[in-house]
Amino acid sequence: MRIPAIYRVCLALVTAIVLILVACNKFDAGYSNPDDEWRSGGKQTVFDQSSKAFGHPFPSLSETLERVHEIGDAQFSSTFVSAPAPVNPGLGPIFNNVGCASCHIGDGRGKVPGTGEISVLMLFRLSIAGEDPHGGPNPVPGYGDQLQNRGNIGVQKEGDVAISYNDKTFYFDDGTSYNLRFPTYTVINTYTAFPADVMLSPRVAAPVFGLGLLEALSDADILSRADEKDTDGDGISGKPNYVWNYTTNSTTLGRFGWKANQPNLLQQVAAAYNQDIGITTSVFPRESTLGQPQYDGRSDDPELIDSLLYSVEFYVKTLAVPGRRNATDAIVQQGKQLFMSAGCDKCHTPSMRTAVNVVFPDVSNQLIHPYTDLLLHDMGDSLADHRPDFLATGNEWRTAPLWGIGLTQKVNGHNNFLHDGRARSLMEAIMWHGGEALQSRNKVKAMSSTERNALIKFLESL
Amino acid sequence: MLKLKHWPLFLGIAAATTISCNKDDNDAVDTTALKSEILQNVATNVCTKSYEDLSDKAGQLLTAVTTLTTTTTDDNLATCRNLWKSIRETWERSEAWLFGPVEVDNIDPRIDTWPVDFNDLNTVLASPDELDEEYIESLDEDHDALRGFHPIEYLLWGQNGDKTASALTNREKEYLLALAQNLKKLADEVKTSWTGGYAASLATAGASGNTEFPTQRVAFEAIVDAMGGICDEVANAKMKDPFDAQDPQLEESPFAQNSIIDFTNNIRGIMDMYQGKFTEDGKGIEDLVRSYNLSLDNDIKTKHSTAVAALQAISVPFGEAIISQQSQVQAAMNKINDLASTIDEDLKQFVQQYGQ
Repeated sequence: MRIPAIYRVCLALVTAIVLILVACNKFDAGYSNPDDEWRSGGKQTVFDQSSKAFGHPFPSLSETLERVHEIGDAQFSSTFVSAPAPVNPGLGPIFNNVGCASCHIGDGRGKVPGTGEISVLMLFRLSIAGEDPHGGPNPVPGYGDQLQNRGNIGVQKEGDVAISYNDKTFYFDDGTSYNLRFPTYTVINTYTAFPADVMLSPRVAAPVFGLGLLEALSDADILSRADEKDTDGDGISGKPNYVWNYTTNSTTLGRFGWKANQPNLLQQVAAAYNQDIGITTSVFPRESTLGQPQYDGRSDDPELIDSLLYSVEFYVKTLAVPGRRNATDAIVQQGKQLFMSAGCDKCHTPSMRTAVNVVFPDVSNQLIHPYTDLLLHDMGDSLADHRPDFLATGNEWRTAPLWGIGLTQKVNGHNNFLHDGRARSLMEAIMWHGGEALQSRNKVKAMSSTERNALIKFLESL
Repeated sequence: MLKLKHWPLFLGIAAATTISCNKDDNDAVDTTALKSEILQNVATNVCTKSYEDLSDKAGQLLTAVTTLTTTTTDDNLATCRNLWKSIRETWERSEAWLFGPVEVDNIDPRIDTWPVDFNDLNTVLASPDELDEEYIESLDEDHDALRGFHPIEYLLWGQNGDKTASALTNREKEYLLALAQNLKKLADEVKTSWTGGYAASLATAGASGNTEFPTQRVAFEAIVDAMGGICDEVANAKMKDPFDAQDPQLEESPFAQNSIIDFTNNIRGIMDMYQGKFTEDGKGIEDLVRSYNLSLDNDIKTKHSTAVAALQAISVPFGEAIISQQSQVQAAMNKINDLASTIDEDLKQFVQQYGQ
């Protein structure tokens, strides 16, 4: 088709304008206000560095929604008791803890039990070889897929886990030594025959703030960072987990949990109620003990009504992110440069933008700094739990968000990190990285003590 | 040339200028010493003092319960009940500074879990197990709903609050004694963690190497957050949940009908902290506020006394009030929320500005 010259000029102009607009748009997306860095959760950032730092609602919530958040807060901190009871009935018959906040103390991180203590802030997932009908872990006969280590009075718990550590000394390239403790987990005191080939995956309670913002990222945005076959050859894969979604009855992208094995917050919350506390909901209406001798046989399910379930989902969805403390400090800035140059940011993605959301504007279109890509990565044999979880292999873990990590000591009184809390400091956590992260770990290993200090200062400022 | 008659005016202007300069100078006065004094006093004479008091009273309750188990009379039961109310007063006041070891070391759930697990408690009482302190400790964190204030309350008052000494079974007495021993142990644990270092780190906030409180401002913020936090807890949870549900079963201390006293002591704790006075008067945040902003000081005190008065205007036990005195309950919640916003907004901003 022949186009008259004048039209061609017009077309060229229009194209140019469109290109400029697109370019502006792109520039806008990456535009960084100098203050942005302080606001890890975009407009849902709070500046509190006390032990309450993880427990604030989104600042933008309307009064009505703040009330829903409060109801969820009250429910999150409730203690359940055995049924029948006038208040909060339905605990157990077997369980890991009595309420949400009992593990997520201060909405924060659990830790490994001290010597002689029973494990209450962490739990153990179980499975045997094979898959369940939805492609998930295959439950252990008589135990299900989680070990409940406590029971109502007179009810047999499933068993305990004995934890022991073996300390080994390693050296940075400059000759400074550091220790890593290698855990051994042994299931003991089991109530009935425990198959020898059970796969065991320890998990500590993870912080619960900022989750609504992570849920607000679009699938496409998360998948844009995936590189399962490492086609760009940088040694980093980034693999999405696809997991069973009980709401849609289909397989969807996994985002939450240490192995990204939960597709959304509702299911994450309902699964925790069901497995950790023994509370049935409309999402998981069957007792975790169904088919086991501990089963209560009561026809009181679901034990938690939907309005409360949704209020707790809303509560964790609308917990604000703590802001940075000293982002512009020279040493912190140097630490950030080192974090980038070691390639940590390849998985711990510093910045993302949440999708536009007209239904819930509070999470819409926010520039956030979660330091995660929500994808799975091979973390090496030392960290492996050797227990597949949907598409996650025994070596793969989801990149953990780093926002707020510097306040762990303040909120939870400890510095235990990683899925089973084996690391006793941020530096130990870094040095545990293997697999795809080995090259980055080795760069840290080669740093001078001043540089290592700066890197830690940066992490502590998050 | 300036005429003599203008000199007074000139002097007046000069004097006014000097005075205003003087005022500016006052503003710049370094209050670090005052702030240290406040933190020192608050750490020692408010927080630590309250836990020492808690431990003393737990000891008295244990003695009285021991007597009750051997000499089970209504008089001895009444003594135990009075001591329970007395230790409860200390605890509820201390909830206005619910930060530090109580929270981090998980003391709060072990001492004040609610509700009571009746089924488990009945199973325990019916079991052949020996019920001693060791038994309670063996429950560990498994069964916080079986220890602390509220199971003791339940055993002392009974489900309907009308228990007589003769109705106390031997198993109940055994368990009550074990609970009282356990309470004493927990109270000692909090006390020791404050005397053994936490009080010192609060008192020396901002000193180099203080990781818990790297600046004085962080310490003041923690204090003010806890003050605001307890208002929120009382108005928007402890009162609002039973009120909205119109369900007396959701009341926190139903057996002893102690809830309104509990709420009042929670709010009282705010003033203890603000004035730096648990038993003896010392420096409090009050002194910092008064040096810069008398109207804020006045605002806090007025709203505080209004809130306390609104609570006291409820003249029947809380479980009844949510049905029969709804306007009084609503008014009390409103006044406590008014106090909360002054603390959370004005006082918080104040310590952020002057607490550096």
